[in-house]
Order: sequence, then C-alpha cells, then structure tokens
Amino acid sequence: MGRDPDFAADLTHPILFEAEWERITAVVDEYDHNRPSHIAVIADPFAGQNILMDGILRRHPDRVIHIPFFSVVKSRDYLAQITGHKDIVVMDHCHFLATRKIGGFAMLDAFLDHISTSERLFITQWNSFTWSYLQATRHIDTFFPVTIDLPDIDRKTLKPLILSRYADEIEFIGDVTPREEPIFSAPHRTVKLPFSNKSFTIPVPRLRQGNGGVNSIHPADAEDAAFDKIIRIADGNYGVAERLWDATFDGKTVRVADIPNIPCTVNLDINESFLLMIILSMESVSVVDLAEIAGPEINLKQALFRLTNQGLVVEEKGYFQIKPEALSCVKGYVTRIRMVW
Amino acid sequence: MAEINVTSAADGSLISSVIPDLGSVITIVLILVAAYLIVKVADYLLRKISEKAGRYRITVTMIIPLLKIVVYVSALYFILKTIFDPGLTELVLFSGLFGAAIGFGLKDLFTDIVGGIVIAFERPYQIGDKIEVSGTYGEVTDIGLRATRVVTPDDSVVSIPNYAIFQEPTASQNAGKTEMMVIIDIYIDSRSDAGLAMNILKDALITSKYVYVSPTRPYTVLLQDYPFYRRVRGKAYVNDLRSEFEFRSEVTRRVWVELSRQGILPPPPTHVPAEVAAK
Repeated sequence: MGRDPDFAADLTHPILFEAEWERITAVVDEYDHNRPSHIAVIADPFAGQNILMDGILRRHPDRVIHIPFFSVVKSRDYLAQITGHKDIVVMDHCHFLATRKIGGFAMLDAFLDHISTSERLFITQWNSFTWSYLQATRHIDTFFPVTIDLPDIDRKTLKPLILSRYADEIEFIGDVTPREEPIFSAPHRTVKLPFSNKSFTIPVPRLRQGNGGVNSIHPADAEDAAFDKIIRIADGNYGVAERLWDATFDGKTVRVADIPNIPCTVNLDINESFLLMIILSMESVSVVDLAEIAGPEINLKQALFRLTNQGLVVEEKGYFQIKPEALSCVKGYVTRIRMVW
Repeated sequence: MAEINVTSAADGSLISSVIPDLGSVITIVLILVAAYLIVKVADYLLRKISEKAGRYRITVTMIIPLLKIVVYVSALYFILKTIFDPGLTELVLFSGLFGAAIGFGLKDLFTDIVGGIVIAFERPYQIGDKIEVSGTYGEVTDIGLRATRVVTPDDSVVSIPNYAIFQEPTASQNAGKTEMMVIIDIYIDSRSDAGLAMNILKDALITSKYVYVSPTRPYTVLLQDYPFYRRVRGKAYVNDLRSEFEFRSEVTRRVWVELSRQGILPPPPTHVPAEVAAK
C-alpha cells in the first residue's frame, strides 16, 4: 500500500483545490483588521474541505484559533475561546450552529452577532446544503464577503492524486466476460386479455441495457476507464472517489467491473425523506439530535431503519451519516423532491 | 372514398346526402379508436413521467390537453377526408349544417370545446394546478375538450364546463408551478408577547419539512392588531402544492406547542375572532 497524501502539508505544491487555496491565502494576506473579509468554505459531504482548513492551520499556527464542531452546538461556550492575540479563527463544520427546529437558530444568531463586531478574520467551513438553506432563510451569505464553493474534481485531477500513493505499478484490467445477453431479444410473456380468462403467450421485444458485460475496453485504456467510472459514480466528489478506489483496489490490481455501482432506488415517505435531508445537511448527526428535530410526528426508529435498509445512511457509534457511495443518489433524490433548494 | 348522392327536392333545390360505404365506415371507426387509444396511452405515459419529474411535474402535464386537441382535430380532419374530399360545395354545405346544429342544440357543447381550446393554448390553468372556479377549489386532474375535472380537498371530482372561463374569474393558486403560497393564521390573546409569537411562527415556517424558500419565493410573518385579539399571519410556499394542508397542519401544530410552552394563549372564548367565527 502507498502512503496517504497530505496535501495540506505540502503548501508549496497544493494539488487539490489549488485555485481555492490561493483565494484563501490571498484574503488572509490582505486581511485588514478594520474590515475583515470573513470566508465561508462550502462543500458537499466528503468533498475534501478539511484539506483547505488544515492547510490554514499549518500555514499560520501562531495566528489561528481553531474551533471544530463535531455535533449540534448547544451553548455559547465556544465563543469564550475566541480571546487573546490570535487574529484568525478557523471554524470547522459550522452547519452544527443551526438546527432545523423552532428556536434552533439561537447559536447561529449568537455567532453572527459575534462576527459582526469582531476584528478577527473568520474562516468557516459549511455543508453546502445547510449553506443553501441558511442563505435562503437567514441570508447568511451577507456576513461572508468571500464564499468558496469547492468544485467537483475530474479524472485528470483524481488520477495523479490516487496514483501518487503507490510506488509499485498497478495493473488495470478491463472486463473480459462472455456475452450474456444479445442486443435484441424477444422473450415470451404470458398476458391475459380483458373480459377473458384465457392466457396468451406473446413475444415482447427487448433491447439489452448497457454492453451486457462484453469487454469493450482496450487494455491500454483500462486505467483511464477505471478513473472515469470512479469519477462518474462519485459524481466528482473526492472523498467518495477515494472510498470507491479503496473498495476496488486489492493491493495489486484494479478491475473496472469491480468498481461498485450501487443502484439508486429510493422509496421513502415525506418523514423519511426529511430525515434523510437532515442527515445530508448535517453530515453526521446523533440519534438524540435527530429526535429533537424529528418531533413526535416522526417515528424515528422506523424511519432510520428504512433509511439504513435502503443503503442510504450508515450508523457509527450512535451517529448517522450518508453512506458515501449513495451520496450522489441521495443528492439527486432530495433535490428532485425539493427538500433542498 | 364515400359515395355522394345528389338528389333534387320538390322545391328544386339540391340536397346532398353523404352516404359512406362500408369501407369508409370501418376507416372512420378505426380512426376514432386510434385517436382514442393515442390520447389514452399518451395521457397515461405523460402522467407517469410527470410523477417522476419532481418540480417539473406540471410542465409535463401541460402537454396533455394540447396533445388531445391535436389528436382529435387530426382525427376529425381524416374522417372528413374519408367521407368526402372536401371541395368548396361540400365545405359550404358542411359549414351550413354545422352552423344549424350549433344553433339548434349544440351551442353549449361548441362553447365548451372552444373553451377547451382556449384553455389549452392560453393556459389560464394547467393539469396539476390548484384553481378556484365557480366556487369550487381543488386540483385540476384533467382538461378535456368539454370540461375540466377538479378534485376538491374532500376528494370529490367536480366537472367544470370549459365555457366557465369566459364567464367567471379563474384563480390559479400556483400558476403552473409546483410550489404554492400558503397562508397560516394564528390568533393569540391581545396581552401576549406578539414579537415572540411572530418569531415562533417564522421558525415554524422555515423549519417545516414542506417549505420552499428562494429569492423569488420568500416567506413573511405579519401582525394585525384587533380589539380583543391579535392575528399573526405567516405566508410561505409549500414545496409541492399537494402538501398544502399537511404544511398548514404541521406548522400550526408545532406553533401551538411552542406558544403554549412560552405561555402565549389563544384569545378567550368570549372573543372569538370574527374571521374564525365566519368560517
């Protein structure tokens, strides 16, 4: 196995999000104590936003107060940490400042009150779905003159990032499986005519979907095909792409057919969809916090069971998060039903 | 081609009678069946697609009435072509007969059909819209050539003749969009903290699972003072108009739980708001 890349450590040659990194450092370098241009770094779950935040910590260790949130913020105590001579405040996972319930914006309001009068520069990191929600409902963007949306990555970016982990050569294998289904077939189906008890067997034309497992990848193209497939399934999300790679790479070879492509079938009611959206927006949320948001209208246990059972969320030590491989599917679903805007 | 018999009447005028032969009759029946099947299949498929189209649901369904008109007009054209290749004489004759038919008994039907065509092209409302016409409020489920079908909140299907759009104002609550504004009124005791009540209603609106907010779809909370009570009114968009009543119910329930927790009371029974009493 190769080593994990530590991009933030190598500040002279940042590979991922180079343009975004340059924007942040430019704002920090031009930081005027009278009018700080607070920064909001906005990203989907798993997108690799921590690379930028860690980079700031490493670049300015003597100037930065670091406040990471790991769960819903329920007191103003964190504001007490913002004292002393350090003039930059780096805050991770600021989406935990707001909760989608009546009275759930008190911590956010306290934070916005604080930065409105502070001379320090705040570099904050937000979940993109929470940011969109707060932008629409609370106009939060007016407090952050600099907003940085992390872009999707492409194959050209992902490939060197992944391959730089390994010293040994990796073998990429295209799929070589026998033809399983012809392009066109007409399997027979039994149908019943209305007002009749008789059944008839008729041929129903059918076109094969996909290439039926037939190898159409030239060995020389297998490497690019593998990364193309990973990027497509991950929908350009770096963290998801990384997990797909780890799930496929067996230490020596990568077989294109083995890259997991989970089918996107979502069958949820409005309450389950709401919980799914909350988990997507908060990235990692405890059962206790979910219960407070859900209220008595939602049977939390049953809803979480169905979300888990459909392969959309995973639970770890009492905290629920979106299953990385299902991120693209979940995003598409909640956007289509207008749970996120 | 149909056989055209021309006979002389007693007064000497020409009376043309068109008697289609058996082949033409079968062709006409096939055209009608084909038109009916095309409309039914397309209607079914478009509705299926629209249900999966999320926010574009109503955009997809608005094709249905247009399609019906195109198919039925085409069918009429082919039927006329089958009966006679309409020359000037036949057209004049047909127009005369048609005009007489309208004058004698089909006026209302004809007005309905014209209304259906106007609805299809001008689109004062579309399939999937929530409308109010002639005192009926509900979701449009079908726009036919003769009538518009509306399903009311208590699940009654009401057929509104299409000519109603010429005679009565038509209110479309969502104008072809999936989202729709919902107004929620909360009445509180006049001695209560109105500012706190407004904040609670605002939070309840924007944290609802049914809400939709954007720069063009903002939410508002307003206060109206009356002699013996106060009305806190929230206006916000529900993300899907089919959830209108669920949205209203969910917000109202959550608001009252929080208002009670904060000690904010409804108006005393002796001072029931006039608007509530009227309802």
